[in-house]
Formats: sequence, C-alpha cells, structure tokens
Amino acid sequence: MITTAEFVVRARIDDQTLAHWIAAGWLLPQRTPDPAFSEVDLARAQLIRELKEDFGVNDEGISLVLHLLDQIHGLRRNLQILVEEVRRNRRPITGEL
Amino acid sequence: MSSDPYHVLGVRRDATQEEIRAAYRKLAKELHPDLNPGDREAGEKFKAVSSAYDLLSDPEKRARFDRGEIDAMGAERPRARYYRDFQSADSQQHQYSSTAGFADFEDVLAELFGGRDRRANFGVRGGDVHYRLTLDFLEAANGTAKRISLPDGTILDVAIPAGTRDGQVLRLRGKGGAGIGGGAPGDALITVAVRPHPFFVRKGDDIEVEIPVTLREAVLGTTIDIPTLTGRVRMQVPRGVNTGMRLRLKGKGILRPDGTRGDQYAIVKIVLPEKSDAELEEFVRRWSGGEDRNLRRHLEGAA
Repeated sequence: MITTAEFVVRARIDDQTLAHWIAAGWLLPQRTPDPAFSEVDLARAQLIRELKEDFGVNDEGISLVLHLLDQIHGLRRNLQILVEEVRRNRRPITGEL
Repeated sequence: MSSDPYHVLGVRRDATQEEIRAAYRKLAKELHPDLNPGDREAGEKFKAVSSAYDLLSDPEKRARFDRGEIDAMGAERPRARYYRDFQSADSQQHQYSSTAGFADFEDVLAELFGGRDRRANFGVRGGDVHYRLTLDFLEAANGTAKRISLPDGTILDVAIPAGTRDGQVLRLRGKGGAGIGGGAPGDALITVAVRPHPFFVRKGDDIEVEIPVTLREAVLGTTIDIPTLTGRVRMQVPRGVNTGMRLRLKGKGILRPDGTRGDQYAIVKIVLPEKSDAELEEFVRRWSGGEDRNLRRHLEGAA
C-alpha cells in the first residue's frame, strides 16, 4: 500500500488537493485508520489531474467523467468475461468415431 | 509519427499558447488511453502528443526548443500504468468497479449469467460437438444400434434409423459439451458416411442389384436366388429378358419412416461364355432371326 506522503509525490498533487478529491468521492482510499492507497488509486489520481489540468474539466465534469468511465469499464469487463466463456465453450470439436 | 512537436500537434510555429492548448485537448480527447479504453494503439499516439504538449505548453521550454537548445525528446513524461490497465476481467475488482451500466437490462443478464455479473453464476449452453461415423451399407439401410465411445471416454448408444443416408446428420440432444453454470449441454452432431456395398446400390428408397444371366437363361427364362436387404428370395426371370431390363421385387427396398418400403430392382445383364464357343458360333451363323436388324440406326446421320 502507498502512504499519503508517497501518494501526493507520485500523483504530483498537494495535500490539500488530495483532501479535496477524497471529499468529492473521486478517490476511495482504505482507512486503516490512516488513508492507504493502491496503484489503482494512483492511476486514477493521474487521470483526474490530466482531466483537470490538460482538458480543463471542472469539478462537476470530473464526477461525470469518472462515473461514466467506471460504467464503461464494468461493461467491458463483463463483455470480456462473456466472450471468453463463449469462445471456450463454443469451439467446435470434430472427431472420427 | 514525426518528432517535431509542432507537427505532432498540428499547429504553426507561431501558434499562441491558447492555440497549442486547444490543439492538444482536441487530440488528447481522441487518444487518451483512459478515454478510449478499447483502443490499444491509443497509448503510443497519446505519448507522442502529450510529450509534444509538455514541451510547447511551457513557454520557457518552448523557447529553448525553438532556439535548438533541447530536442523534442527532452520532455517525455514517464507513465507507468493508466487507469484503464486495472480494469481487465483478469484483474481484481476494486472499489471503483461499477455495474451501473447494466441496470436497465438486468433481465437479459439474469438469463445469460444466471445472476447479476458473477462468473460463478454463468448459465451458458454447452457447445455442439461434431463427429463422423462410418457405417456399413446394410447397417445404414436396415438401421442398427451402435455403441460408440467418444474421445473423452463417454459411451453413447446411438440408434441408427433404417434408411440412414450417406451424409445425413444425426443429432443427439444433450450429448455435446457440458453447459456452464447450470446451462444446458450442447448436442452431439454425427455426420454419417455409408460405405458402398459390393452389389447393392441405393437409388432413393429403391435398391438396385445387377443380375448376370446366361444367354440360355435370358432366352428361356429361369428361377434364381437373389439377395435382398432382408435375406435371399426366389425370383422368376421370365423368358426373353434383355440386358438392362429391370425386374421389380415389390416392397424389398428401403423402409420408409411411414412404414412402407421402396422396391428392389434386379437389372438383367446377359453374359456370353468367356471363351469363344464353336457350337454357339455355328448356331448363330445358322440363326435366321439374327439377320437384318440395324440396332445402330440412331447413331447414324448426325455426325
């Protein structure tokens, strides 16, 4: 797990920004009881920073983008599982008796 | 892709910072891996675009690049993993995972997956399995029961219906691949090949057998012993049969699904003695009925 101190450095944000993102519900660190972050949180923070700085997305926009992105990933994930199951079970088998 | 950052972003060398930012946002929207999770090439292209933007968005760096003090590679931003890289089906579910995208077609998913979205609850029908089975002519014509062992060791008793044809496909319901998570098993599809028989020939529901007869038998008639699908029968060959003549044995053909049968045809073939026979030659020479018939009139004239 990643501590808060390490997280802000690697995500290139300051403590205040991090607190704001957690309060907005964009990041959901584990509480043990201090916040502990994962690589997923870090990648998500980098995405948020790019959305804000490079794309100029405002706070309402960030919430919307994250909400839709997580839905897309959920759909893609289940589609991938379904496709793999179908491929595994539908492969025709032929044989001579 | 070109390494000239102006070219990469598609802006003029005297573009304003605002123009550069607008060009970058337009490209990044199309190329950012997290905004295009299905595009595997997006990562490489985005790297070039964001590298160019890193250089040109900083007026100081941009000025140094314009003076030739640093090259275009000087500003590449290292990036280990994108958010999308944590989203594949093989990776762990995490606290951001959402199934909200399914809310409106939950019924369809319940049918497909047998639940919401749990792998363990999938109900997928098993695959069909294809086999080839070669049968003897009489097995296919009369029907039989075959015990066959599948490659996975399963033993199947297959009822071959009477009259099974070459190329016919028998479907054994539920004998294919196992279903997943309570899904129905698939079917076994058996394509039948029928070996030819030494003398029976199938024509639809009828059976043809060529019967060689001597000249004497053809001229005078006889009674012969002839094989059928269901055993040997006695058959009258009337006087004066000729090569190619078809003698019908009614109801000795293939059993049809409605219980009736096709017919068997005995096709006459007159066979002369293998060696020349002096007596026969002498008889034919003297035989007045053998004269003046032109059997080949239909072959004359045209060509």
